[in-house]
Amino acid sequence: MGPLEGLLYGFSVALTPTNLFACFIGVVVGTLVGVLPGIGPVGAMALLLPSTFALHPATALIMLAGIYYGAMYGGSTTSILVNVPGEAGSVVTLIDGYQMTRKGRAGAALAIAAVGSFVAGTVGVVGIMLAAGWLADLAVRFGPPEYFAITLGGLLLLSRLSGGSLVHAFVMVAIGLALGTVGMDSISAFRRFTFGSVQLAQGVDLVPVIMGLYGVAEVLLLAEEGIKRTKITTVRVRELLPTRLEWRQSAAPIARGSIVGFVTGLVPGPAAVLSTFIAYTVEKKVSRTPERFGQGAVEGVAAPEAANNAATAGAMVPLLSLGIPFSPATAILLGALVIHGLQPGPLMISQRPEVFWGFIASMYIGNLMLLILNLPLVGMFVSVLRLPQHVLATLVLLLCVVGAFSLNNSFLDLWVLTAFGIFGYGLRKLRADPSPLVVALVLGPMMEKTLRQALFLTRGDVLEMLARPLMAAILLVPVAALVGPPVLRLLRHSRRGLDSFQAPERGGPGGRPEPPL
Amino acid sequence: MLERVVPLVILIASGVYLSLAIKLPLGTTARPGAGFYPTAVAVFACIVGLAATLRAFVTPRVAAAVAAADGETPGGRRRVLSTVLMLGASCFVLPWIGYPATALVFVTLVLRGLGSRWPSAFVIGAVSAALSFYLFAVLLDVPLPRGVW
Repeated sequence: MGPLEGLLYGFSVALTPTNLFACFIGVVVGTLVGVLPGIGPVGAMALLLPSTFALHPATALIMLAGIYYGAMYGGSTTSILVNVPGEAGSVVTLIDGYQMTRKGRAGAALAIAAVGSFVAGTVGVVGIMLAAGWLADLAVRFGPPEYFAITLGGLLLLSRLSGGSLVHAFVMVAIGLALGTVGMDSISAFRRFTFGSVQLAQGVDLVPVIMGLYGVAEVLLLAEEGIKRTKITTVRVRELLPTRLEWRQSAAPIARGSIVGFVTGLVPGPAAVLSTFIAYTVEKKVSRTPERFGQGAVEGVAAPEAANNAATAGAMVPLLSLGIPFSPATAILLGALVIHGLQPGPLMISQRPEVFWGFIASMYIGNLMLLILNLPLVGMFVSVLRLPQHVLATLVLLLCVVGAFSLNNSFLDLWVLTAFGIFGYGLRKLRADPSPLVVALVLGPMMEKTLRQALFLTRGDVLEMLARPLMAAILLVPVAALVGPPVLRLLRHSRRGLDSFQAPERGGPGGRPEPPL
Repeated sequence: MLERVVPLVILIASGVYLSLAIKLPLGTTARPGAGFYPTAVAVFACIVGLAATLRAFVTPRVAAAVAAADGETPGGRRRVLSTVLMLGASCFVLPWIGYPATALVFVTLVLRGLGSRWPSAFVIGAVSAALSFYLFAVLLDVPLPRGVW
């Protein structure tokens, strides 16, 4: 099945009433989650995961993904109108978005953000169609050593890009990997770190960990801040139309933001956040009037909003084509597929085309729904902020308890939820990012299995493993990303040291260098 | 203090994890056993735990202290502690008194701890317990615990 044929088949799956409804629920919940500060898309996806058990895998995936990209739309609304980013991917939008609101251009900023997100979503869908198919064809040639290299390389890259210190990121990775070893060994069925518990023999489930780190921890932060009221700016529908100049100024930034976002999404790391920073910096660099940025430049809204939406699409490529998630949100999508007995990877496109193509087509439909829903209903979505935050926080906590329990009907999961809630709160206070832990928890068992299979295959010869060209090529990128920056810094330092040492010789006692000849 | 305690706890936990991992069958590099990978992870955890601990004790504490104090409001810690205690208590009593009663008490007490008045906290608690029970146990068929009675 070619990409175009596949997409048409996908539309026939995604346009069924059930899937359309699932997509609608997903994008509405996603928008609400994006609007509300506190609970992010990852926490919301984890909360709603148990409610998808009874659904068809494609329907479940469509709904959960709708939350993910819907949150990107919703997040921009509060960034622009109330100077509060609903989720991390909209932090950059508030720099110029809120300034536009102060200048009376809130409607235009919202419209540009929505159209930019829609265009980027479309570019992202085309990108997935092309890249996922190509990568899946390549991945058929991968053996255990290559898969091990991808998981290891993904974790290394994620540690480098997740923000904060590398040591903190490595600590998170180590905790995630260690948690992934709890339970029955998948090869020898040996029980590890279970302390006689039957429930622990099944391992530590991903969902209560994510609910704790992203749901409970956020609620604890809200509890600490106390009851807050948000001042809400209202926008009339007729104010939503940007001027011709604003359209013209936004067109190229939307195109650039879409490409930057999609490419960033392919790389392990917090793509939705990182892409917005990169897109904003690129726009500032290419602008003839960079001084307008921070003062309400429409390009500062268009590019980041396009980037964060395209990044969510890009992040789906490694999940769908390799079966490897590089972010907590895609880890939940993987969890949803595994619960339904599916293994995403290179063979999913041919074996379960209805899931793969239905999901891709639904992303396009979801983006269209968001564009139609978000602009006229912006007032309604923002009015959600009038809900008392402490009531909302308590209800989220209750949903976390129900969600964690209903996963396996296990009381142990409730204790895992509580423990990781406290741990996540501590991490927030230390400004450490928990996403490497989540990704390591998902990739850990995969990494162990492929490492042991690779060692069996090569009879324990690590050099033979490294001699495989594909494996060496895959490992080269993360190793360069990890070793490159410190080496470059060292070189720069040594050059500066050399310059300051040579300067007095050239410039005399004053140390001033002579002008170049 | 948090910025020094956390790495120290992680280092100790890594040590305990290593001591448990080396007791598992290691195997050989050609035929790795169940303990091969956990031991490698444990060694990695010990190294990064040590690096984090050294970093926390050697580098200036200003940045972390600012981060820790950031966002603190009067009564904030008390509210966090009461919410955590309520969550822990609800995990403990859920098998005994069942979901509806736990949800009612949990929501009421957490809301009260966060500053709601008793009547509104109780009403929200009762409504949310009833609605969530109906949604999950009745509509979605999730077997929520009903208690010992």
